Amino acid sequence: MAEITFEGVTKVFAGNVTAVDHLDLHVADGEFMVLVGPSGCGKTTALRMLAGLEEISSGTLSIGGRVVNHVLPKDRDVAMVFQNYALYPHMSVAQNMGFALKIRGESKDEITRKVAEAASILRLSEYLDRRPKALSGGQRQRVAMGRAIVRSPRAFLMDEPLSNLDAQLRVEMRVEIARIQRLLGVATLYVTHDQIEAMTMGDRVAVMRGGKLQQVAPPQELYDRPANEFVAGFMGSPPMNLLRVRTAPAEGRLALAVGAQRLELPRAYEASHELPTDADCELVLGVRPEDIEVVDEAGSGPTLRTRVERREALGAEILVHLALVEAGAPSSVAYDEDVAITRPSVLVARMAPQARVGVGDVLNVRLNEERLHFFDALSGVSLARGTA
Amino acid sequence: MSRDTVDVAETDTSVERRVRARRAGRGALFVVMLGVAVVMLYPFWVMIVDSLKSENQFLAGHGFSWSSWRTLSSTIPVLQEVISSTIICAVSILLILAVGLPAGFAFAKLKFRASGVIFLGIVSAMMVPLQAILMPEFVNITRLGLTGGYTGAVLVYAALGTPFSVFLFATYFRGVPDELIEAGIVDGLGYVGALWRLIVPIAIPAIATVTVLQFIQIWDDLLVGLLFIQNTSERPITVGLAVLAAGRTTSIPALMAGSLLSALPAMIVYLVFQRYLVKGLTMGIDR
Ligand SMILES: Nc1ncnc2c1ncn2[C@@H]1O[C@H](COP(=O)(O)OP(=O)(O)OP(=O)(O)O)[C@@H](O)[C@H]1O
Ligand SMILES: [Mg+2]
Repeated sequence: MAEITFEGVTKVFAGNVTAVDHLDLHVADGEFMVLVGPSGCGKTTALRMLAGLEEISSGTLSIGGRVVNHVLPKDRDVAMVFQNYALYPHMSVAQNMGFALKIRGESKDEITRKVAEAASILRLSEYLDRRPKALSGGQRQRVAMGRAIVRSPRAFLMDEPLSNLDAQLRVEMRVEIARIQRLLGVATLYVTHDQIEAMTMGDRVAVMRGGKLQQVAPPQELYDRPANEFVAGFMGSPPMNLLRVRTAPAEGRLALAVGAQRLELPRAYEASHELPTDADCELVLGVRPEDIEVVDEAGSGPTLRTRVERREALGAEILVHLALVEAGAPSSVAYDEDVAITRPSVLVARMAPQARVGVGDVLNVRLNEERLHFFDALSGVSLARGTA
Repeated sequence: MSRDTVDVAETDTSVERRVRARRAGRGALFVVMLGVAVVMLYPFWVMIVDSLKSENQFLAGHGFSWSSWRTLSSTIPVLQEVISSTIICAVSILLILAVGLPAGFAFAKLKFRASGVIFLGIVSAMMVPLQAILMPEFVNITRLGLTGGYTGAVLVYAALGTPFSVFLFATYFRGVPDELIEAGIVDGLGYVGALWRLIVPIAIPAIATVTVLQFIQIWDDLLVGLLFIQNTSERPITVGLAVLAAGRTTSIPALMAGSLLSALPAMIVYLVFQRYLVKGLTMGIDR
């Protein structure tokens, strides 16, 4: 058991591909750290550097306070669970799980005991004599886990271990892995691009994009206080609505121009956010789908007039797509593939299935005035004070 | 009768017809395979039966005697020749495997400069027939002074077998996911450990395939043994039989006994490794 520290770790592949760019990340002893980000952002590369399967271009990587930049993989004492499990096809389940112990030279009895123990934690006891090819996907996944846990390593590294499973099994194994990790208390770096896994499993979540770390925080904080537009748009499903707006202060009151409409803001935001004081400054307003509610004409607080464009029933809730009413609508930015963020011209609101809304209805919606987010229009950085 | 019932009846007969057709197909296949088996096994049967007769019994067409085996072993040093053949085969195959497996692994898994071109060169060496390089090779080996015993022949066999084995191992290892080796490395294997404890065991089907094919080829080869092994005490069984047929004896039962003796080991090797060959086709590395 040990802590893991990335300090300015960079990986440049041949052909000048910078897969990981000055990564600073600390995983405390026993902590479950989830690494998320869009495809190709360098998650696997970061993990492979930690395992010693990929050389580090610059920076220092330490496990348990010891710099491991040049330590051979076999001497790092970390266990890795691969996305495709990589079980040894010619060995039985028990041999697969005991292999690392055998290499280490532990006695037969010791190996048998540890394998049996791990097998009972993973409910694999009855499959110990089988070959991997005679197992189901979920069982193989558990063997891969077992291979990691019998070793009592200093750290677990898992690269999308659940992505090959069907949805139901994934939910089960999500709980299972989190349970086992708590039970063993081993520092874990878990890569996924499933944000439900990120939200539910991690003590903390690190969001990466294009090789750069965007934010590290406990899941709820990441959700409530995203450090930038990217994190805001990445976490949550459907993602946060991001609208391009302009400041329009009047009579000493804080207000925004959203398209042709005016949105009055509580004064409290002046203290909590570094909002531009001049008029006509561009910025990005963020609002979560659940922070939008339908109100009567006479409602107070920041309200917008919208028309229902689309209605998606999801059973437990409905998603209502709302377009701002009035000509010239909001100056919104189209889908930015590279950034993988939508700054929709419509707002998506999450409502109870009983809500009587139909396509074409004109609604007044109030934004939850305590849960608005503001980002710099150029850099996308949050304007909230006191966030990194 | 309603239309429905008629339909059902029709489907019934068509299903029946299909089943019958399939059964007939299987029957035909069985007959063909039986024919093939008879054609393949008949020479063996003849060898076995005729080798167990004396010369007179052979002419008479019936009887039983060990005398031809006695003739065989008194005319040529059979046992010694079988041992020679075995040694030559074993050492050549070990060399072929020892070079082919690591080289194949390197071509499949490691990136190094010009690996594609080098691989192509090695593979095209597979196309060169033995006869084409026999004379230059003979000159080389003679210059090295290795034409007396096993060494020269073993080197020639190894050189001829290696390209194929590199090719086969490279192809095999390309089908093995990188993660499998990496898992072993993370599990604590060093380079040597990864080779012996992971790569070799995973490659057993490929090893079996190379072994069987090379064994059959080398064991049955006459030309190289005849040319490169000049010490009579070290010559292989194929050369011994050639000598036998060339005039030491005219006894057909004795020749049959010799042929049987030389054909048997290749069959045994095939039967022993066959299990792994079939497995090699079906094992597959699990994703
Ligand atoms: N061996 C390599 N050589 C060159 N470039 C590479 C190599 N491996 C990865 N890359 C590049 O590095 C970047 C990061 O890759 P990485 O596999 O770490 O992404 P990832 O975050 O794991 O993505 P995914 O979610 O799709 O698995 C990608 O742009 C990829 O193309
Ligand atoms: Mg990856």
